[in-house]
Amino acid sequence: MRLFRRGNEHAWSQSRLSHYVEGDLTRRERLRVQLHAEHCPECSRGIRALRALLRLAGSLGALENARAPASIFDRVRADAKAAARGGARAHDG
Amino acid sequence: MSPVLAPSRSATTEESTLVSRAQGGDVAAFEQLASAHTDRLYAVVLRLVGDRGEAEDVVQEALLRAWRAIGRFQRRAAFATWLHRIAVNEANRTLGKRAQAGNSVPIDDESLKLSAPPHEGPARTAERGELRRSLEVAIAELAPPYRTALVLRDIEGLSTRDAAAIAGVGEAAFKSRLHEARMRVRAAIGDAALLAAPS
Repeated sequence: MRLFRRGNEHAWSQSRLSHYVEGDLTRRERLRVQLHAEHCPECSRGIRALRALLRLAGSLGALENARAPASIFDRVRADAKAAARGGARAHDG
Repeated sequence: MSPVLAPSRSATTEESTLVSRAQGGDVAAFEQLASAHTDRLYAVVLRLVGDRGEAEDVVQEALLRAWRAIGRFQRRAAFATWLHRIAVNEANRTLGKRAQAGNSVPIDDESLKLSAPPHEGPARTAERGELRRSLEVAIAELAPPYRTALVLRDIEGLSTRDAAAIAGVGEAAFKSRLHEARMRVRAAIGDAALLAAPS
Protein backbone atom coordinates (compact mmCIF):
# COMPACT_ATOMS: atom_id res chain seq x y z
CA MET A 1 0.00 0.00 0.00
CA ARG A 2 1.18 3.49 -0.77
CA LEU A 3 2.45 5.61 2.06
CA PHE A 4 0.47 8.78 2.60
CA ARG A 5 1.54 11.96 4.33
CA ARG A 6 0.05 12.04 7.81
CA GLY A 7 -1.83 15.35 7.42
CA ASN A 8 -3.31 14.34 4.10
CA GLU A 9 -4.17 10.93 5.42
CA HIS A 10 -6.03 12.39 8.37
CA ALA A 11 -8.06 14.77 6.22
CA TRP A 12 -8.82 11.97 3.77
CA SER A 13 -9.93 9.68 6.58
CA GLN A 14 -12.05 12.36 8.28
CA SER A 15 -13.92 13.03 5.04
CA ARG A 16 -14.86 9.36 4.79
CA LEU A 17 -15.84 8.46 8.34
CA SER A 18 -19.56 8.56 7.58
CA HIS A 19 -19.08 6.34 4.51
CA TYR A 20 -16.90 4.02 6.58
CA VAL A 21 -19.50 3.42 9.29
CA GLU A 22 -22.09 2.79 6.61
CA GLY A 23 -19.87 0.18 4.92
CA ASP A 24 -19.92 2.30 1.81
CA LEU A 25 -16.22 2.20 0.88
CA THR A 26 -14.23 -0.10 -1.34
CA ARG A 27 -12.17 -2.74 0.44
CA ARG A 28 -9.00 -0.73 -0.16
CA GLU A 29 -10.55 2.51 1.13
CA ARG A 30 -11.94 0.72 4.17
CA LEU A 31 -8.54 -0.71 5.03
CA ARG A 32 -6.97 2.72 4.57
CA VAL A 33 -9.38 4.27 7.10
CA GLN A 34 -8.85 1.35 9.50
CA LEU A 35 -5.07 1.60 9.36
CA HIS A 36 -5.17 5.33 9.95
CA ALA A 37 -7.74 5.10 12.77
CA GLU A 38 -5.60 2.56 14.63
CA HIS A 39 -3.08 5.33 15.23
CA CYS A 40 -5.38 8.36 15.24
CA PRO A 41 -7.48 8.88 18.39
CA GLU A 42 -9.54 11.59 16.66
CA CYS A 43 -10.61 9.35 13.77
CA SER A 44 -11.11 6.38 16.07
CA ARG A 45 -13.38 8.49 18.31
CA GLY A 46 -15.15 9.83 15.22
CA ILE A 47 -16.01 6.31 14.09
CA ARG A 48 -17.41 5.38 17.51
CA ALA A 49 -19.34 8.65 17.76
CA LEU A 50 -20.86 8.21 14.30
CA ARG A 51 -21.88 4.65 15.10
CA ALA A 52 -23.58 5.92 18.26
CA LEU A 53 -25.27 8.68 16.25
CA LEU A 54 -26.64 6.18 13.72
CA ARG A 55 -27.98 3.97 16.55
CA LEU A 56 -29.62 6.99 18.14
CA ALA A 57 -31.10 8.24 14.87
CA GLY A 58 -32.41 4.75 14.11
CA SER A 59 -34.10 4.65 17.49
CA LEU A 60 -36.05 7.82 16.62
CA GLY A 61 -37.97 5.87 13.96
CA ALA A 62 -41.02 4.99 16.00
CA LEU A 63 -43.05 8.14 16.54
CA GLU A 64 -46.05 7.66 18.77
CA ASN A 65 -49.34 8.23 16.96
CA ALA A 66 -47.62 9.24 13.74
CA ARG A 67 -50.61 8.12 11.73
CA ALA A 68 -52.06 10.20 8.94
CA PRO A 69 -55.37 11.74 10.08
CA ALA A 70 -58.60 10.54 8.48
CA SER A 71 -58.98 13.94 6.82
CA ILE A 72 -55.80 13.48 4.80
CA PHE A 73 -57.69 13.00 1.48
CA ASP A 74 -60.14 15.89 2.03
CA ARG A 75 -58.55 18.17 -0.58
CA VAL A 76 -58.30 15.38 -3.14
CA ARG A 77 -61.98 14.52 -2.63
CA ALA A 78 -63.03 18.16 -2.85
CA ASP A 79 -61.00 18.61 -6.01
CA ALA A 80 -62.50 15.50 -7.62
CA LYS A 81 -66.03 16.65 -6.66
CA ALA A 82 -65.44 20.14 -8.06
CA ALA A 83 -64.13 18.64 -11.29
CA ALA A 84 -67.16 16.36 -11.55
CA ARG A 85 -69.50 19.32 -10.95
CA GLY A 86 -67.69 21.32 -13.58
CA GLY A 87 -68.10 18.49 -16.05
CA ALA A 88 -64.39 18.34 -16.68
CA ARG A 89 -61.55 16.60 -14.95
CA ALA A 90 -59.41 18.88 -12.81
CA HIS A 91 -56.27 16.90 -13.33
CA ASP A 92 -54.15 16.15 -16.33
CA GLY A 93 -55.04 12.51 -16.87
CA MET B 1 -31.87 -4.13 6.07
CA SER B 2 -33.33 -0.92 4.70
CA PRO B 3 -37.08 -0.76 4.20
CA VAL B 4 -37.88 -0.62 0.51
CA LEU B 5 -40.48 1.47 -1.21
CA ALA B 6 -40.84 -0.71 -4.31
CA PRO B 7 -43.84 -3.04 -4.11
CA SER B 8 -43.63 -6.82 -4.49
CA ARG B 9 -44.44 -8.38 -7.88
CA SER B 10 -48.06 -9.20 -6.98
CA ALA B 11 -48.50 -5.76 -5.47
CA THR B 12 -46.99 -4.26 -8.63
CA THR B 13 -49.79 -5.72 -10.74
CA GLU B 14 -52.41 -4.33 -8.37
CA GLU B 15 -50.59 -0.99 -8.19
CA SER B 16 -50.39 -0.82 -11.96
CA THR B 17 -54.14 -1.40 -12.25
CA LEU B 18 -54.85 1.26 -9.64
CA VAL B 19 -52.52 3.75 -11.36
CA SER B 20 -54.34 3.19 -14.67
CA ARG B 21 -57.71 3.69 -13.01
CA ALA B 22 -56.51 6.82 -11.19
CA GLN B 23 -55.11 8.17 -14.46
CA GLY B 24 -58.58 7.67 -15.88
CA GLY B 25 -60.00 9.93 -13.15
CA ASP B 26 -61.04 7.34 -10.57
CA VAL B 27 -60.51 9.12 -7.26
CA ALA B 28 -61.30 5.99 -5.20
CA ALA B 29 -58.49 4.15 -7.00
CA PHE B 30 -56.13 7.04 -6.27
CA GLU B 31 -57.07 6.95 -2.57
CA GLN B 32 -56.55 3.18 -2.42
CA LEU B 33 -53.19 3.57 -4.13
CA ALA B 34 -51.97 6.41 -1.94
CA SER B 35 -53.44 5.25 1.36
CA ALA B 36 -50.85 2.47 1.58
CA HIS B 37 -48.24 5.20 1.99
CA THR B 38 -49.95 8.01 3.89
CA ASP B 39 -48.81 6.98 7.40
CA ARG B 40 -45.19 6.88 6.33
CA LEU B 41 -45.54 10.11 4.33
CA TYR B 42 -47.00 11.78 7.37
CA ALA B 43 -44.18 10.48 9.62
CA VAL B 44 -41.49 11.71 7.20
CA VAL B 45 -43.11 15.11 6.80
CA LEU B 46 -43.64 15.43 10.55
CA ARG B 47 -39.93 14.79 11.03
CA LEU B 48 -39.16 17.50 8.49
CA VAL B 49 -41.54 20.22 9.64
CA GLY B 50 -41.84 19.30 13.35
CA ASP B 51 -45.49 20.20 13.83
CA ARG B 52 -48.54 17.95 13.43
CA GLY B 53 -50.89 20.59 12.02
CA GLU B 54 -48.35 21.72 9.48
CA ALA B 55 -47.46 18.12 8.59
CA GLU B 56 -51.11 17.37 7.85
CA ASP B 57 -51.35 20.48 5.70
CA VAL B 58 -48.21 19.51 3.77
CA VAL B 59 -49.37 15.93 3.18
CA GLN B 60 -52.85 17.06 2.10
CA GLU B 61 -51.28 19.47 -0.38
CA ALA B 62 -48.87 16.80 -1.61
CA LEU B 63 -51.72 14.34 -2.19
CA LEU B 64 -53.66 17.02 -4.07
CA ARG B 65 -50.63 17.74 -6.28
CA ALA B 66 -50.13 14.02 -6.87
CA TRP B 67 -53.80 13.55 -7.80
CA ARG B 68 -53.65 16.43 -10.25
CA ALA B 69 -50.40 15.14 -11.74
CA ILE B 70 -51.19 11.40 -11.81
CA GLY B 71 -51.77 11.66 -15.55
CA ARG B 72 -48.12 12.59 -15.97
CA PHE B 73 -46.82 9.74 -13.77
CA GLN B 74 -44.82 7.65 -16.21
CA ARG B 75 -43.98 4.73 -13.89
CA ARG B 76 -40.24 5.16 -14.25
CA ALA B 77 -40.08 5.11 -10.44
CA ALA B 78 -42.26 3.23 -7.96
CA PHE B 79 -45.46 5.12 -7.15
CA ALA B 80 -44.34 5.37 -3.49
CA THR B 81 -41.05 7.02 -4.48
CA TRP B 82 -42.85 9.50 -6.74
CA LEU B 83 -45.38 10.32 -4.00
CA HIS B 84 -42.68 10.74 -1.33
CA ARG B 85 -40.75 13.05 -3.62
CA ILE B 86 -43.79 15.30 -4.07
CA ALA B 87 -44.33 15.34 -0.28
CA VAL B 88 -40.67 16.11 0.49
CA ASN B 89 -40.70 18.93 -2.08
CA GLU B 90 -43.84 20.32 -0.48
CA ALA B 91 -42.29 20.07 3.00
CA ASN B 92 -39.18 21.86 1.78
CA ARG B 93 -41.33 24.57 0.19
CA THR B 94 -43.00 25.07 3.57
CA LEU B 95 -39.63 25.17 5.33
CA GLY B 96 -38.37 27.69 2.76
CA LYS B 97 -41.35 29.98 3.41
CA ARG B 98 -40.79 29.62 7.14
CA ALA B 99 -37.10 30.48 6.78
CA GLN B 100 -38.00 33.58 4.74
CA ALA B 101 -40.32 34.61 7.56
CA GLY B 102 -37.43 34.13 10.00
CA ASN B 103 -38.99 31.22 11.87
CA SER B 104 -37.12 28.05 12.75
CA VAL B 105 -38.45 24.49 12.84
CA PRO B 106 -40.49 24.02 16.02
CA ILE B 107 -39.49 21.21 18.34
CA ASP B 108 -42.87 20.02 19.46
CA ASP B 109 -42.24 17.45 22.19
CA GLU B 110 -45.76 16.09 21.95
CA SER B 111 -45.60 15.81 18.16
CA LEU B 112 -42.28 14.01 18.27
CA LYS B 113 -43.05 11.88 21.29
CA LEU B 114 -41.23 8.57 21.19
CA SER B 115 -42.01 5.16 22.51
CA ALA B 116 -39.70 4.26 25.42
CA PRO B 117 -38.05 0.86 25.13
CA PRO B 118 -39.75 -1.67 27.43
CA HIS B 119 -38.16 -2.49 30.82
CA GLU B 120 -35.98 0.63 30.84
CA GLY B 121 -35.35 2.23 34.23
CA PRO B 122 -36.33 5.89 34.86
CA ALA B 123 -32.72 7.16 34.91
CA ARG B 124 -31.95 5.46 31.61
CA THR B 125 -35.18 6.74 30.10
CA ALA B 126 -34.35 10.31 31.20
CA GLU B 127 -30.83 10.04 29.82
CA ARG B 128 -32.05 8.65 26.54
CA GLY B 129 -34.78 11.29 26.39
CA GLU B 130 -32.29 14.09 26.85
CA LEU B 131 -30.04 12.76 24.11
CA ARG B 132 -32.94 12.32 21.72
CA ARG B 133 -34.02 15.86 22.46
CA SER B 134 -30.50 17.07 21.59
CA LEU B 135 -30.73 15.10 18.37
CA GLU B 136 -34.12 16.61 17.51
CA VAL B 137 -32.74 20.10 18.06
CA ALA B 138 -29.64 19.38 15.96
CA ILE B 139 -31.77 17.98 13.12
CA ALA B 140 -34.14 20.95 13.27
CA GLU B 141 -31.19 23.29 12.81
CA LEU B 142 -29.99 21.60 9.63
CA ALA B 143 -30.75 23.27 6.30
CA PRO B 144 -33.58 21.43 4.47
CA PRO B 145 -31.41 19.40 2.02
CA TYR B 146 -29.30 18.04 4.87
CA ARG B 147 -32.28 17.43 7.12
CA THR B 148 -34.06 15.57 4.31
CA ALA B 149 -31.03 13.32 3.74
CA LEU B 150 -30.68 12.44 7.43
CA VAL B 151 -34.39 11.88 8.00
CA LEU B 152 -34.85 9.63 4.97
CA ARG B 153 -31.71 7.55 5.40
CA ASP B 154 -30.88 7.45 9.11
CA ILE B 155 -34.26 7.84 10.75
CA GLU B 156 -36.69 6.32 8.25
CA GLY B 157 -34.07 3.76 7.22
CA LEU B 158 -34.69 3.98 3.47
CA SER B 159 -32.03 2.67 1.11
CA THR B 160 -29.61 5.23 -0.31
CA ARG B 161 -31.12 4.62 -3.74
CA ASP B 162 -34.72 5.30 -2.65
CA ALA B 163 -33.73 8.21 -0.43
CA ALA B 164 -31.70 9.85 -3.22
CA ALA B 165 -34.60 9.42 -5.66
CA ILE B 166 -37.00 11.04 -3.18
CA ALA B 167 -34.57 13.89 -2.51
CA GLY B 168 -34.29 14.37 -6.28
CA VAL B 169 -30.50 14.04 -6.50
CA GLY B 170 -28.03 11.40 -7.67
CA GLU B 171 -26.67 8.89 -5.18
CA ALA B 172 -23.22 10.50 -5.01
CA ALA B 173 -24.67 13.92 -4.23
CA PHE B 174 -27.02 12.36 -1.70
CA LYS B 175 -24.16 10.58 0.10
CA SER B 176 -22.24 13.83 0.24
CA ARG B 177 -25.25 15.62 1.82
CA LEU B 178 -25.75 12.77 4.27
CA HIS B 179 -22.10 12.86 5.32
CA GLU B 180 -22.30 16.61 5.88
CA ALA B 181 -25.57 16.27 7.82
CA ARG B 182 -24.11 13.60 10.10
CA MET B 183 -20.98 15.61 10.77
CA ARG B 184 -23.02 18.72 11.64
CA VAL B 185 -25.30 16.78 13.98
CA ARG B 186 -22.32 15.04 15.54
CA ALA B 187 -20.68 18.41 16.17
CA ALA B 188 -23.90 19.84 17.63
CA ILE B 189 -24.43 16.96 20.07
CA GLY B 190 -20.78 16.40 20.90
CA ASP B 191 -18.79 13.19 20.93
CA ALA B 192 -18.80 12.94 24.72
CA ALA B 193 -22.60 12.79 24.85
CA LEU B 194 -22.81 10.39 21.91
CA LEU B 195 -20.21 8.04 23.35
CA ALA B 196 -21.94 8.01 26.73
CA ALA B 197 -25.27 7.09 25.10
CA PRO B 198 -26.92 3.90 26.35
CA SER B 199 -26.70 1.35 23.55
